[in-house]
Amino acid sequence: MTGTVSIFGIRHHGPGSARRLVEVLDSLSPTAVLIEGPSDLSDMLPLLADPAMVTPVALLAYAEDDPANALFLPFEEYSPEYQAALWAVRHGAALRFIDLPAQDRLAPERPDVDTPVEGPDGDADPLIHDPIGVLARAAGYDDGESWWRDVIEENPSPGPVFAAVADAMAALRSEAGQPNRDEAAREAHMRLEIARAVNEFDGQVAVVCGAWHVPALTETHTMAADRRLLKGRPRTRIKATWAPWTEARLARSSGYGAGVVAPAWCTHLWRTAALPERDGIWLARIAQLMRDHGHFVSTASVIETHRLGIALAALRGRPAPGFEEWRDASISCLCFGERILWEQIASDLLIGARVGAIPETMPLAPLLDDLQRQQRATRLKPEALERELSVDLRSESGLLRSTLLHRLNAIDVPWGRLTDAGASRGTFREKWVICWEPEYAVRLVENLVYGSTIEEAASTRISEAMGAEPSLDALAGLVRSAMVADLPRASSIGIEALSHQAALTSECGALLRALPPMADVVRYGEARAGAAEKLGELMPRMVVQAALALPYAARNLDAAASVTLSGEIRQADGAIRLAQMDGDVLDGWHRALRHTLEDSQTTTLVAGSTAQLLYEAQHLDAEEAATLLARMLSPGTQVTDAAGFFEGFFEGVGNRLVHDQGLRAAVDAWLLQLEEADFVAHLPLFRRVFSALDRSERRRLMDALFVRRRAESGGLSLVPDADAVWSAQFPRLLALLEAGRRR
Amino acid sequence: MSEKLRLPAEERYGAELAALGKEGGGKPPGWAMTPRAVVTYLMGGKAADGTAISPKYVGDRRLIETAVSTLATDRALLLLGVPGTAKSWVSEHLSAAISGDSTLVVQCTAGTDENQIRYGWNYAQLLANGPSREALVATPLMRAMETGRLCRLEELTRMGSDVQDTLITVLSEMMMPIPELNQLVFAARGFNIIATANNRDKGVNELSSALKRRFNVVVLPLPSDPREEVAIVVKRVGEMAQNLDLPLPRNVAEEVARVVAIFRELRAGSTEDGKVALKTPSGGLSTAEAIAVMVGGISHATFFNKGDLTPDSLASNMIGAVVKDPVQDKIVLGEYLETVLKKRAGYERYYKSLIDQI
Repeated sequence: MTGTVSIFGIRHHGPGSARRLVEVLDSLSPTAVLIEGPSDLSDMLPLLADPAMVTPVALLAYAEDDPANALFLPFEEYSPEYQAALWAVRHGAALRFIDLPAQDRLAPERPDVDTPVEGPDGDADPLIHDPIGVLARAAGYDDGESWWRDVIEENPSPGPVFAAVADAMAALRSEAGQPNRDEAAREAHMRLEIARAVNEFDGQVAVVCGAWHVPALTETHTMAADRRLLKGRPRTRIKATWAPWTEARLARSSGYGAGVVAPAWCTHLWRTAALPERDGIWLARIAQLMRDHGHFVSTASVIETHRLGIALAALRGRPAPGFEEWRDASISCLCFGERILWEQIASDLLIGARVGAIPETMPLAPLLDDLQRQQRATRLKPEALERELSVDLRSESGLLRSTLLHRLNAIDVPWGRLTDAGASRGTFREKWVICWEPEYAVRLVENLVYGSTIEEAASTRISEAMGAEPSLDALAGLVRSAMVADLPRASSIGIEALSHQAALTSECGALLRALPPMADVVRYGEARAGAAEKLGELMPRMVVQAALALPYAARNLDAAASVTLSGEIRQADGAIRLAQMDGDVLDGWHRALRHTLEDSQTTTLVAGSTAQLLYEAQHLDAEEAATLLARMLSPGTQVTDAAGFFEGFFEGVGNRLVHDQGLRAAVDAWLLQLEEADFVAHLPLFRRVFSALDRSERRRLMDALFVRRRAESGGLSLVPDADAVWSAQFPRLLALLEAGRRR
Repeated sequence: MSEKLRLPAEERYGAELAALGKEGGGKPPGWAMTPRAVVTYLMGGKAADGTAISPKYVGDRRLIETAVSTLATDRALLLLGVPGTAKSWVSEHLSAAISGDSTLVVQCTAGTDENQIRYGWNYAQLLANGPSREALVATPLMRAMETGRLCRLEELTRMGSDVQDTLITVLSEMMMPIPELNQLVFAARGFNIIATANNRDKGVNELSSALKRRFNVVVLPLPSDPREEVAIVVKRVGEMAQNLDLPLPRNVAEEVARVVAIFRELRAGSTEDGKVALKTPSGGLSTAEAIAVMVGGISHATFFNKGDLTPDSLASNMIGAVVKDPVQDKIVLGEYLETVLKKRAGYERYYKSLIDQI
């Protein structure tokens, strides 16, 4: 039995390719369809036709002992491979993958290869993944699909499309040098598999592969030479499953080497191919997104955009407006020439947010495997009852446990809960309560979309959250989470985002709030091998920024805002002390505190707090403090303002009054001159300040006040030269006593 | 040699325009050449007959393509940009290429009234003979409509909004009524409007949204290359100093490089190496302002500093350019000085002078 081979070079995730491929399959009616993909995963392919399978999905293969070493093959509805598989299942044709088996490609690293060929991080060479895109860019197109459509589909005399592609690739390959060893092995494997299928099946055999490989598959090589290429390659045990995927991760910007520039544009092209109003649909989407972003877009403007797009295409000599024309026209007509407005909607418009789904019966899940392996490694058992766990970060096993629990928290699987979150940070000990709930397994599976290991999933998920987080303090919190979960990539993304946000924010409070988590991270750098150096540069910058903004932020605040701000200042000051900033930065901070204190427009509660901080840092000496307090509490100041300053200054440190006579005198004088009504009104405040004192402190304060007062008001005092005076009194006293006795 | 100080574009580049005009292909009605030839005329290249075409605009080709396509439809074109981004230059050359005439210009100012946009009257005629076409004085806009050419409106937003709105009827209905004569002027094919406006000067007569909607907008960006910008500033400062009879200190080029670097960073909201994001001040900090700062500094140096151009002479002008809003911009500048300039070698004196004066 011998079949006839037809090889169809396609563009991965190219809607135009997919459409042409389906047409050609319909006319050819092959008995077997061979697709570029790991040959040991052929069994998984027919599942694509399962009605519960909703694209985008990815075929995921991973090494059994190391799920981080994984291979993803994403399929979208416009992927030619997906359409070919659907066609084969529906028409009862044999369906196979023919590329090197995953067992081979996931084998432990060989010296001459450093990355898995189609891992999520992708191969650096765009020529191999998307040669058509390279051709398109050479012709001045931003988007390969537009080029494909203009050159191949809108061509007035369309020759055999796939033959034309094969010719183009042959020309490209002759320029590109020899394929590396892995490439050569893959192509050899495909040739052998094709030869096997030709012997096995009668009739037409259709081969669907990346355009780049077509010339290599049609070249004649002896089977012996091909086998020699494949001989002795290492193998490893693998597992495979389907995973739901997202549109965003099909984008090249997500790091997927064979990805497309704009997944949502591809979806649009695929779905509206046959519709005459396809351009209108795309423009209506742009208009809708602009309106959602609060811009006014009239229907007339959309019509003008359409006209300009057509004129632009004519000027550029293209048969129809494509992606770039619509973009340029939209910027000019809808965004009033402002590129920034376009950038605002670009990611929503071009990347898309659809998430795929897989049938519930699908064998699962590398994340569960990974968890079980890590549970063994850390000797932590999932138990349904709550249990306390104390972790010492200095020991390797302790660090491992803590990292695992932190990572699980990051992917919303709160197996462990940190109980002393506030107190122990920065020390070498963590206290957890761990408790396993069955639904955590389900949540783990949901996280598959972020990655195939717990580390990767946590990293991706936190990075995504960072990208979407507008508030500075929450961002700093996320960076802390990434640091404690030992996710260097997410940490550096977060620090980048933090640095960007910090520069743009002008809200002093946000800067101050971000400092405590950052100080934690800087200190955590000591307990964990984290990448805290970058943060070490960023934090001083943020302190400087906060210091510059502080005097303005402290002006004319209402009660609630001033309480918030002085709390933030205290926390930030604590953080700055903890992080041991250099002298320059610290001086700047203290200067800002002093500036705030001296500014007459500063709300008094905040002024009081800054005075206290300066006093503690010994930037305000006792005498100065007493003068300041006396001035602030003098009758010239309104009672509410004075009370605010008093509260700010003594918040939490009432015992100062016990030891410091100058301060005490100032406070005493103020309290004494208060009207009764004012005094009663501020009683809660005094209670709050003095309740911080314990019994003995309170007693000593009383003593200090009343001993002195008795001494002043009783009129009795010691006479320094009593000795001399006393001897003169002595005879008189004796005489008195004598007289008494006689009576 | 011509006696005219400056020739219009169509005369200076007559040969290029003639060569491009001969190129075949579909010309929109009323156009002297094809849209593609217009793009070639602006961006430079070669005409079909081999004549070399000098580039008139250095920058993104897409922008010029969008501009030309706009004019090829019947939409009006609005060129936006901060001063010194070649808006008028581009508009002059577009008109020269498309209509063969770049002289139908209205310079819009706060004093421009409707009579200068629509039509005026020759009052002697009007009083003697009553209203008639003979007594009517056509404006460049009206002449452009009648002859099917391009009309250029310079600095559109300087003109009062009520006067701007005169253009709405012209743009939407392509005709201008003359109610006094019960007549209409219809625009001939080939008529269109190119307006330029400054997009940084907020508060000068914003376009009404009805009018804005009738324009396609192309924003011409500031020079993307720092060296290019420094060269522009050095050249212009030299010219202006000569006009003002100011001697040019020797270190002008170095100081220009530093001032432009500071302006570029503040304007772009990030340091030149892209590592640190910055806040941007509310002012535009255009190339033109850098020129003004330098000229002010040179004048200060000449009269008060024995001709030594130092950062001290420049600092107060720089602060004047950066700090437009007394509170917000001061924070912005302060942050920039403390976080970026303080540690940069070669800028110590700028840091010191600026921080002293802020």
